[in-house]
Amino acid sequence: MSNPVSKTSVVWPSTLGRIVLAVAGGYLFTYGFTAALARLLPLERVDALIGATLLSFAVYSGFVLWVFARPLRNALWALPVTLLLLLIGFGPQWLGGVQG
Amino acid sequence: MSRQPSLTQSMSALHTWAGLVLGWLLFAIFLTGTLAVFDRELTWWMQPELQDRQVDQASAVQVAQRWLAANQRDASAWNIGLPTARDPSLSVSAGEQRRGQRTLIDAESGEQITPRETAGGSFFFRFHYTLHMPRFLGIWVVGFAAMAMLVAIISGIIIHKKIFKDFFTFRPVKGQRSWLDGHNASAVLLLPFHLMITYTGLVIFFLIYMPAATDALYGGDRDALLRELRPDAQQQQGARRGEGGRPSREVQTASAAMLPLDHFITLGEAHYGAGMLSSLSVAQPGRVNARVEVRPLLGSRLELTKGEALAFNAITGELLRAPPPTRTSLLVQKVMAGLHFAQFGGYPMRWLYFICGLVSSAMIASGLVLYTVKRRRQSAAQGVWLRQVEWLNLACVGGLMLACVALLWANRLLPADLAEREGWELRVFFGAWLAALLHARLRAPLRGWLEQLAASAVLLLGLPLLDLLTALAVPDRIRLGVDLTGLGLGALLALAAWKVSTRPTATVRAARRAPAAMAEVQS
Amino acid sequence: MNASLLCLALSSSYAGMLALCLGTERHWKQLAAAAPLSLRAWCRPLGVLLLLLALLLSLQIWPASMALVGWLGMLSLCGLVLLLLLPYAPRLALGLPLLGVLLAPVFMLG
Repeated sequence: MSNPVSKTSVVWPSTLGRIVLAVAGGYLFTYGFTAALARLLPLERVDALIGATLLSFAVYSGFVLWVFARPLRNALWALPVTLLLLLIGFGPQWLGGVQG
Repeated sequence: MSRQPSLTQSMSALHTWAGLVLGWLLFAIFLTGTLAVFDRELTWWMQPELQDRQVDQASAVQVAQRWLAANQRDASAWNIGLPTARDPSLSVSAGEQRRGQRTLIDAESGEQITPRETAGGSFFFRFHYTLHMPRFLGIWVVGFAAMAMLVAIISGIIIHKKIFKDFFTFRPVKGQRSWLDGHNASAVLLLPFHLMITYTGLVIFFLIYMPAATDALYGGDRDALLRELRPDAQQQQGARRGEGGRPSREVQTASAAMLPLDHFITLGEAHYGAGMLSSLSVAQPGRVNARVEVRPLLGSRLELTKGEALAFNAITGELLRAPPPTRTSLLVQKVMAGLHFAQFGGYPMRWLYFICGLVSSAMIASGLVLYTVKRRRQSAAQGVWLRQVEWLNLACVGGLMLACVALLWANRLLPADLAEREGWELRVFFGAWLAALLHARLRAPLRGWLEQLAASAVLLLGLPLLDLLTALAVPDRIRLGVDLTGLGLGALLALAAWKVSTRPTATVRAARRAPAAMAEVQS
Repeated sequence: MNASLLCLALSSSYAGMLALCLGTERHWKQLAAAAPLSLRAWCRPLGVLLLLLALLLSLQIWPASMALVGWLGMLSLCGLVLLLLLPYAPRLALGLPLLGVLLAPVFMLG
């Protein structure tokens, strides 16, 4: 099955792209997801925060796997979705000032 | 552009690369974490001046009270570190509680003891979550490695087609097949442990790793969050500051007779269980407003109970404050953290965690070796890269094991009153690791493995003898435990070294493959 | 008392894993080829029962949630021991639960 020529001797641009998307994009996506979930959960502030943050590591892992499982062009959909999540999470703050 | 690889292929590549590149760090994290399970026992072993007097906590606190009354009568606060099953030492300090400034006294006679300065088992604990880097950087690197571990575990499950069929399958003496079997078996059988330990490890620092919710809901104000999380912590801090923390500007209040401190041990044990207290502190001892705080040993519950305390009026014995019930969400986080810290369940549980940790470390090492074994058979096109992986594997796996046991030897062989002793112990640790690294770079892989495994085996097998010759007393239960464990691990490494030495040479293996290759050609 | 309970719990975990192992075709052929094939169907339910017994014993050693953690740890490690014994000492692999049960009362004396 294995191809004797090592894939790793040349880091393909697409592989590098996936790694960047998975690691950096993944963190950004998870950040947005956690913020959005924390805001949307119908719980007290503290509980929503803890619940959303505890889940975040599973979300990040899932995202990384998804980036490597899908064709790269499909994976790029993550970027607009991330922006949407960030909007849900931080929208109220950006628009109306912080509620401390 | 290339065609889209199948799910198995992409997950396999992800598993291999995440596993290989982070595997070197992960082995270090898992091995030191495993050793940290017995950190208190190791610290005890590394301070042979201390002796186990086998006294209960009530008697010990009386000895401590006598010492403090004699030597620190007018202090604003007293702190007593009680002897426990894992750490039979008795320590006292006065004034604001500060780590490392405690005085150790004999639990029977009350005499002061000065044990040798040592890095202790807590070195392994700190190394485990910081890799000896500055705390903030180290935590992030370890967190990154932990995420890679999660990805490797899940991708590993996805690509393991015959996960149930091969559940109990192990075929030794078959080269690459055996390494794959070993890697799969140790990974699958301990899957609950791997998932649990990795995820809970991340949960410990969850707010550092993912501050998103704090930023969104509190505008990044961590203090506001902490106030809501633990409303009584403010109270505790205020109380301490007012009565014992900073030097009080108040006129010294009238003195009053306190109840004997062992009375509070009894009260504390009623709440937390016999022998389950870790420390006792007295604010404004001997005065009218004296307060006693009793802290539990971590481990009476599954959740991490750090920072909790019972507070009593020292004169009347009245309960002033009990730890408030934790809100559910925080309890979940504390239970998860508690699962990782493994401070519960007594010695049987501790041993289960230790053995699981060793198997996990072996699982990671087997993955690293599998990578090289698989590619050794392939063409020389990968020669340079493969050579790098080979010596890095040996340096990180073999080298770290050697460094850990070298630390224990350094602890006993370096003079007890050496200045900066802790620093010197660490120099031996890192020196040994560096030597192993250079050795790995220079030797052929199999010879290198044999030599480093044999060296570690010899040092571990010699541990009981070292203890006997350098200790100042007959080994007690804890020291004996460390010695015998070292003996057992040494035997395992010796077995591994022997297996490496009896491997057939490359020419013999090639000759074995030749008839098989001929058969393939003919069919 | 705790030590002997632990010994019994480990024996039961191991026996349960052994039973589950024997329930598979591959390992039945490897270990119990001589025995009547109809017995193989009993292996899996027997295995599950033994594992549940191990859980019950764990609950005697530890409080509830801790017992669950300890039980899972024991299952994993017993499975691993079984896996290592199968290629090297199949007869010991089969006989180990008996050894464990015989050893348990010894700890009571201690």
